[in-house]
Amino acid sequence: MPEIDAAVLVLPPSLSKPPQPAVVVRARGLSKRYGALEAVREVDFTIEAGECFGFLGVNGAGKTTIMKMIYCRIARSAGELRVLGLDAASHAQEIKQRIGVVAQENALDPELTALENLLLYASFFGITGAAAKRKAAQLLESLSLTGKEQSRLQELSGGMKRRLVIARALVNDPEMLVLDEPTTGLDPQARLLVWEKLSRFRESGLTLLLTTHYMEEAARLCNRIAVIDEGKILAEGSPLELIDRFAGQDVLEVIGGDEELPDERTVAALVRRRERHGGVHYLYNSDNRVLLHRLAELGFEPKRHVARAATLEDVFLNMTGRELVE
Amino acid sequence: MSPLAAFFRPNAWRVFRRNMLAWQTYAWSSLAINIVEPFAYFVALGFGLGAYFTVTGYGSLVQFIGPGLLGFTAMNTATFDASWGCFERRVFNGVYESMVTAPVHPLEIAAGEYLWQACRAVMYGLLFLGVLAVFGLGHTFWVLLCPMILALSGIMFAIPALFVSMIVKTQEHLFYYFSFVATPMAMIGGVFFPLDKLPHWALTIAWFTPLYHAVNIFRALVLGRVGPSLLIDAAWIVAAIILLSYLPTRAIRNRLGN
Ligand SMILES: Nc1ncnc2c1ncn2[C@@H]1O[C@H](COP(=O)(O)OP(=O)(O)OP(=O)(O)O)[C@@H](O)[C@H]1O
Ligand SMILES: [Mg+2]
Repeated sequence: MPEIDAAVLVLPPSLSKPPQPAVVVRARGLSKRYGALEAVREVDFTIEAGECFGFLGVNGAGKTTIMKMIYCRIARSAGELRVLGLDAASHAQEIKQRIGVVAQENALDPELTALENLLLYASFFGITGAAAKRKAAQLLESLSLTGKEQSRLQELSGGMKRRLVIARALVNDPEMLVLDEPTTGLDPQARLLVWEKLSRFRESGLTLLLTTHYMEEAARLCNRIAVIDEGKILAEGSPLELIDRFAGQDVLEVIGGDEELPDERTVAALVRRRERHGGVHYLYNSDNRVLLHRLAELGFEPKRHVARAATLEDVFLNMTGRELVE
Repeated sequence: MSPLAAFFRPNAWRVFRRNMLAWQTYAWSSLAINIVEPFAYFVALGFGLGAYFTVTGYGSLVQFIGPGLLGFTAMNTATFDASWGCFERRVFNGVYESMVTAPVHPLEIAAGEYLWQACRAVMYGLLFLGVLAVFGLGHTFWVLLCPMILALSGIMFAIPALFVSMIVKTQEHLFYYFSFVATPMAMIGGVFFPLDKLPHWALTIAWFTPLYHAVNIFRALVLGRVGPSLLIDAAWIVAAIILLSYLPTRAIRNRLGN
């Protein structure tokens, strides 16, 4: 039997460890100040290659400000920010060359046709001539815009404009696509279509970074979500983790006054968390049937109630409050 | 990147191309507007007023005003589009906003705009030169130098206009620039009347305005009265472009830069 040289079995350190996912964005203590206003306050996050990371927050939470720092439109006030391994402050042009950006405002050129918009944008990346035309045709097709080449902006619907901006952001085959509220203001059909396209990009391995107000959007598209409020990250995790951690599995909404439920101490013992807003009691718990059964045992059978599963919306509203912030 | 180096970057020429593409959709109206105004001045002053006056050393007022209006046209086309047009492109149409999400440097945008204003000044200037030719002016080989001077003038007038478009809050504030800077400059630039009878201080002020030097050159080229003093005027224009180009860099970076 041949003797096995033990040394041969010692693998180089890079192979013995599981492969480390590449970090696409890394922020540490990232802050942005506008005069006296602290729009972003020392946030930390890491986005890995191939994932879809979402920032969820109300108006004015600081989502756009974070996005703009990532796509090098504005400079940070403090902290560290690396995109594709490069410092965002000193390598803006290189980063812009390698990422795709869908800004909150469409910023399509109203004096050019849809095709001209794409070709001009491609030229800024050095993509010109036949290669640019081929790329543009392929992108228009993949975003279901074939036939709209010669249309001007005013002839396109809101959903088409948004898809055109997404197509434009893909001309340089970006390593990451940054989308600031990709579906705000779109009707349900248009939104579904954008979701479908984004899911496809995600499946093809493209790293996505998006912001949204819509829980459904975040739950559907994102592997990981950071809930952000007043410039701070309140929580971070997968949609299911966040629901489990901050809302529980079920929510029982009891409509009516205090007389519908037992005293506060008794209720607190039955649920994970309770909240009251606008004549509705929100009881976060692990199983609505069990809770209703217990309440019945105590002699309470709320006539008007809604028993449903907890959603990301509950997480979000739990954290940021049910009141309108503005 | 220096503002002058930006002229040589491919992206500056792509910004130029974008404006050319957009211009093609409204070329006719733009040509009409930019030719009617100098033509109206030319006819009203040259022939209307010119029926009563002659200008010492020039004969008719037509001879004097015609070439002067060439400088006036270059100033107007470049000033208007680099202020009003650039404001629109930056604020209302998001044209620059999308450029800076792509790897276009803010100074490349500025350089592309200057190049475009040079092109406009050449196009409208040559058109007006054609009008002058119909009236018997500029039948000399010296007019072949006009395109170059028109281009330089376009750049020179575009720089301060773009600067103003970058610092004003609303588009209406641009009228301050038109009323307080551009119009007085046209009056004192030697377009409409000779400056030699003005007091010395007025002449000194005129010497420091860009239009004065442009008008000097155009008049000399169109009338074929070329002398070595034109080299000073040309040097003045080139120096002005170099020095002025640094004026808006901070404002441009504040608005569009990282
Ligand atoms: N250029 C600016 N100058 C001053 N304050 C600003 C500027 N841009 C944003 N802010 C402020 O920074 C805060 C965060 O704004 P940001 O646009 O990042 O919010 P957001 O989460 O994107 O909101 P929305 O959902 O409405 O888009 C807000 O209070 C806003 O008023
Ligand atoms: Mg925003």
